[in-house]
Amino acid sequence: MTTTTPAPVATPVRDALAARVLRALLTQRTVLIVVLLVIVLAAFMVMDANGYLTGPYDGDTLASALINLVPLAMLALAQMLVIVSGRGGIDLSIGSTVSLTGMVFGFAYQNWDLPLIVAVLVAMIAGALCGAVNGFLIAYLGFPALIATLATYYGYASIALVINAQKPVTGDRIAALYGAAAQSVELPVIGANLPNIPVGVFYFLLPTVVVVYLIVARTTYGRRLFATGTNDVAGRFAGIDVRDTRFKAYLLAGVIAGLVAVVTTAQFASARPDAGTSGNGMALPAITIAVLGGVAITGGIGRVAGVVLAGLLVVWLNAGIPLAISGNTGPQFQLLALGVVLVFAALLNGLTTRRYGGTK
Amino acid sequence: MSTSTLPAPPSDAPPAKIRRRVLPSPVTGQEFVLIGVIVALWLLLALFTRGFFSELTLISLVGYMAPVATIGIGMTIIIITGGIDVSVAANVMVCSVIVAKTMVGYDTSVPVLVLLAVVVGALLGLVNGLLIAYGRVHAIIITFGTANLFQFLGLQIFGSNTVNGIPRDLKVFGIGSEGRVLGLPLAFLITIALAALAWVYLRHTAGGRHFYAVGGDAHAARLAGVRVQRRQMLAYVITGGLVGLAACFTIALGTSTVQQNIGSGVELAAIAAVVIGGTSIMGGRGSVLGTVLGALLVQTVSTGVTQLKWPSQLSDLFVGIAIVIAVGADLLRERARKNKGRSTR
Repeated sequence: MTTTTPAPVATPVRDALAARVLRALLTQRTVLIVVLLVIVLAAFMVMDANGYLTGPYDGDTLASALINLVPLAMLALAQMLVIVSGRGGIDLSIGSTVSLTGMVFGFAYQNWDLPLIVAVLVAMIAGALCGAVNGFLIAYLGFPALIATLATYYGYASIALVINAQKPVTGDRIAALYGAAAQSVELPVIGANLPNIPVGVFYFLLPTVVVVYLIVARTTYGRRLFATGTNDVAGRFAGIDVRDTRFKAYLLAGVIAGLVAVVTTAQFASARPDAGTSGNGMALPAITIAVLGGVAITGGIGRVAGVVLAGLLVVWLNAGIPLAISGNTGPQFQLLALGVVLVFAALLNGLTTRRYGGTK
Repeated sequence: MSTSTLPAPPSDAPPAKIRRRVLPSPVTGQEFVLIGVIVALWLLLALFTRGFFSELTLISLVGYMAPVATIGIGMTIIIITGGIDVSVAANVMVCSVIVAKTMVGYDTSVPVLVLLAVVVGALLGLVNGLLIAYGRVHAIIITFGTANLFQFLGLQIFGSNTVNGIPRDLKVFGIGSEGRVLGLPLAFLITIALAALAWVYLRHTAGGRHFYAVGGDAHAARLAGVRVQRRQMLAYVITGGLVGLAACFTIALGTSTVQQNIGSGVELAAIAAVVIGGTSIMGGRGSVLGTVLGALLVQTVSTGVTQLKWPSQLSDLFVGIAIVIAVGADLLRERARKNKGRSTR
């Protein structure tokens, strides 16, 4: 958000080109991510051309990897909203919110035979309720976000498992969703020259990106959100209802989690009670991508473009690693890559804060 | 504490009162409440289940509590300094697999294994500490990152398999008859001893008080001569060492196989124990006594749910509710304390 951070001190006119490039790389996270993205793509394509990879790293691979981007980038945007809202904002419960709302969606769509659009709405409302509990605890009662969402992480995960006696919700209608969600489509007009894109990108990811972008960049609510995150007290003096603003950030994150639950239910062809919490869960990768995308953990700073590009970087890096490293150690190197990139990005954030007064 | 240590105005208080209560009271209100809640829960469970007060149930209750409480002691110190460590689960995995492979491959003794685990754990803690104290980055971000790195490390050592056929060398830390001293599990006694040690260290030594100073106001602490970065780093190293010990307990409580998911979820359990115990996540306030009670409460809830034959996943819901109530009570008291300070000033 360019307008919410103070404009950088006017640079001397005769700044050397190298210094300016360095400054752009360090202070503008989108620039850095784009450069890293180009490096990753070029490296894997060179390796592919020289036969080091076990499979092709081409447009089709990249396009089909986008299916993993859908839940990841959506949840990262949800994290962005709550982290930007400030005062240590974070949502550890988002993975278990996905599990719980996925179960609700499963019941609504499979067991209660609701039309798809109504079932999706039910999932979004369930997500909004989960987010509202977080938001109420944090914004109105003053709980630290880390603690409140740790508590609700336990709560939602537990309810999701108990609600159907640990069994997933399956059936013909949900199975039919899998066929609809897993397919890829050709883009109109220019699509013939491009690989087919998974439909989830169009049904879920792009609408979410556009709506979140409009909310943070084109509405007064967005202005209030960044003001609240930058400085609580100043925001209150400026007449902002700080509590309401922060509350709504968690609510919106819950709504996005509800949508992600629909995506994952369709991808698994069943509503799994541990969809968002198995393994490392979904919260940690989402927070990682948000931070990598330049969202400041202290609040008030974050851009939609940075988060989406960071998601692309992680997803395309993850698509290449199993091709370069044969055997089943591939996923382990994905962990390594994610960890290295996150630590690197965090250290870089610290450096830029000290040298240039912050990342944009 | 902040208001009570302020020098009183010269007119209305004798000078002797100035030094009154430099330290917070040895047992805080939160801890009294926790003791009450735990006693009440035990009585209720004794009434409504058969065999809660049997030897086996109680022994396993305090035995299974040991790993979380041990890690919780370190986590308390970290949170007092204003930090957090979400990489302890991955650290447990690395320590466990190294110890397990050593036990399978070599003929070693228990002290060597414990030393090995503690050193490995402390080294990984040192990585966290260096990055957080000297990289000056928010602890939660760095430890999310190192959690991935440690997992990679652990899985590489695992190969692509579990570790099977572990000899029962570490049985002294288990809950079987070999692991009991004075009728109680040795792991539990070690945990209590460590907690007592940490309690005295944090409360009655200058070095221990420095952790509180760092968490209360790092800038003021620096001006007062506290080596802030060294304190922060030390907190993560101590925790790493305790994680190593907890890994030995975890292996002893398990079967002869170590799975790749060993330790998963323990980071959140430890943080839950700490905050239920009344330690402020903002730093500068807290005690290990509360953490041990918090861990005991969490384990009581999970044992109770099993004893009542409810679905075992339900215990997590109660843990979540316990966190909300414990932290909510703490918030209310904090607010009351602030109001009181304002009115007397």
